[in-house]
Amino acid sequence: MRSKLNKTVIGLIFGLLVVYLFLPSQKARERQVVRYWFVAGVKEDIPPCVPWFNAAQESIHVEGIAIPWNEHEKKVLTAILSGDPPDVVNLVTPVPKWAARKALVRLDSILVQDRLDTAQFFPSLWQEMKYRGHTYALPAYTGAFALFYNKRMLREAGLNPDQPPATWEDVHAYARKLLRRENGKISRMGFIPQYGNIETPLIIAFERGMQFVSERGDRVTLQSQPLIEALRWERDFFDLYSVDEVSAFMGGFGYGNQHGFIAEKVALFINDNSFIDQIEKYNPGLEYGVAMIPSPDDAPSVSAAGSWWLAIPRGAKNKRAAWTFMKYVVSHPVQLREAMSREETLFPVNRRAAHDPAFLALHPFMHIFSEQMEQTRSKSVTPLVHDIFWREFSLARERSLRGVMTPQRALAEAERSIQFSLQRALEYDHYVNARMKTEDFFD
Amino acid sequence: MKRAVKNTLRGYLFASPWIAGFVVLGLYPVVMSLYYSLCQYDVLRIPQFVGLRNYRELLFQDHYFYTAVWNTLFYTFIRSPLVIAGSLILALIVSKAVRGVKFFRTIYFIPSIISGVILSVLWLWLLNPEYGFINSALQFFGLPGPLWLIDPHWSKPAIILMSVWSLGGGRMLVFLAAIQNVPAHYYEAVEMDGGGWWAKFRNVTLPFISPVLFLWFILEVIFSLQVFVEAYVMTKGGPLNSTLFYNLYLYNKAFDDFDMGYASALAWLLFIIAGIITFIQFRVSNKWVYYSGGAEK
Repeated sequence: MRSKLNKTVIGLIFGLLVVYLFLPSQKARERQVVRYWFVAGVKEDIPPCVPWFNAAQESIHVEGIAIPWNEHEKKVLTAILSGDPPDVVNLVTPVPKWAARKALVRLDSILVQDRLDTAQFFPSLWQEMKYRGHTYALPAYTGAFALFYNKRMLREAGLNPDQPPATWEDVHAYARKLLRRENGKISRMGFIPQYGNIETPLIIAFERGMQFVSERGDRVTLQSQPLIEALRWERDFFDLYSVDEVSAFMGGFGYGNQHGFIAEKVALFINDNSFIDQIEKYNPGLEYGVAMIPSPDDAPSVSAAGSWWLAIPRGAKNKRAAWTFMKYVVSHPVQLREAMSREETLFPVNRRAAHDPAFLALHPFMHIFSEQMEQTRSKSVTPLVHDIFWREFSLARERSLRGVMTPQRALAEAERSIQFSLQRALEYDHYVNARMKTEDFFD
Repeated sequence: MKRAVKNTLRGYLFASPWIAGFVVLGLYPVVMSLYYSLCQYDVLRIPQFVGLRNYRELLFQDHYFYTAVWNTLFYTFIRSPLVIAGSLILALIVSKAVRGVKFFRTIYFIPSIISGVILSVLWLWLLNPEYGFINSALQFFGLPGPLWLIDPHWSKPAIILMSVWSLGGGRMLVFLAAIQNVPAHYYEAVEMDGGGWWAKFRNVTLPFISPVLFLWFILEVIFSLQVFVEAYVMTKGGPLNSTLFYNLYLYNKAFDDFDMGYASALAWLLFIIAGIITFIQFRVSNKWVYYSGGAEK
């Protein structure tokens, strides 16, 4: 008798627990829930725009979920395959890479209907949201690159500390003067082309206006004069020292105060605006300046850019609410407020926010980054075979740097390999397009 | 009769959780990967059947395939004998009945329980050409330290060097058990004939443990062919593709390029390569493996 009672009580409690767990929360019952997956940066904190958005209106509740950087592509991919993806994703690998795989919802129709002002975004970032003429995402955050130079090291090398190199030839000349050796080992360098997150030869090719893919997107070109010369320029640094010597020197670099530029081992370094914070944190006394990225004599400065972007994955349930949130995040006031409040300094994609006096007042160098952002090109040059392009490009650079191959030959090999993969990808794309539809916002 | 059928059914019923698990998580993926190896397929879109094209392109057009095969075979054939010999020597040392031997057995076993990723990060520092322990030690003896992972000639030896870490562990324990199983009177017989430690090892220990050695050669080769973590964490295949191991290339194809069909074909080719090597090992084995109970088929 007693045990029966016990069972009933336990059953009842268990049942209530189940009901409670499956009961939608207070907020959710009143509001539409938008699940927002973002790739976590240094911190896993929910971006401040989420609570702002939730407080600003009553009908939608955004639930931010951080997904770790490692394996994030696979995570989103599996979510889409499961048929129950998040309503909005914030990712950083190129939009075309996802759009080409029909992973994202097309936004053209809603863009037209809402008359969204697309001129508010930096042009290269906006360009990157598109694939074959259709738009799939909105840019959300970016990093703006520029040249950092160490004034003290310049002075010590007999150079004018207020005159950073303006052309790539200057960079060569500066590097020669800045080189120091101690006990037969390199102890200080001017510029290391392969150090940092930006591919110098690619920048030079961009500045010379090089196109990597044919108009129709079926033919990739690497063996062209601008890129061959850029690799030669890079190779020319190594008549003063060997690749091994530089590798050994760079072996001592690390993060934080071990960073080559912050530790004053390298005088010239191209990096993004968040580097200002790094310098302030690890070497606040560093005497440095920021300038536009150098360019060839006869061409303007260009930088490479990519952005974190927001998109609606295929199969998402709350497209309308997701879109409302996306528009909110990229708007001028929110971009400005967020850029000014975040600990990791991300650069606004909204140029009005980036040129806003309040934003420029954040740091005396900020206007240089805003200016440089106006002159950028997307790093997504061959969307269908994006990763292959980068693997091949790095290999070609490495082969040319180590003198295993001439720049021309190295680029020819890379071109052949990328073209081979592109051909495969195009054929598959063609097959799929005849049989599979891309989801539209209003589907 | 009826009872027998009932029993059989019951048997399958009890085995059904395993059978279900095997079919869903084991057999199904294997069969599907064989099918996808005949397709172009990027997971998010529908597969396109292309017949043997992936295999044809791999074998006749893709030069990275051969780079990866060469790197992996180099690693396998240098590493496997080294770690087996090393583990055998360790096992011989800790098989001596001296005081405190159990302590050393434990000590030698411990490194093998550390995960590959942590080991790789640790070795990244040990192998640092400027500040690493290994080059500092070499410098102490007046030897010039190589650039290890940065130098295309030294990157593979560097990754092989990492294996010294795993010399103990399971391999050593199995060898130890085998050594301890050798009947003592054979050693006595050698002693009576005036043989020393080498004669004992060569003529008694080695033949007796040869089946175990054989098993480990097979397993070690299969493990080594699948080398991945070290290159993924430390070198990403570089410099100059010198550590582009087979599984790293497969991973790049599958999860960077989402070229699942091609990656599946790579996986099946690795299976065939491993099969061929194992087959050769079996053929050669009757020349050196001794089974005390007579030859086993």
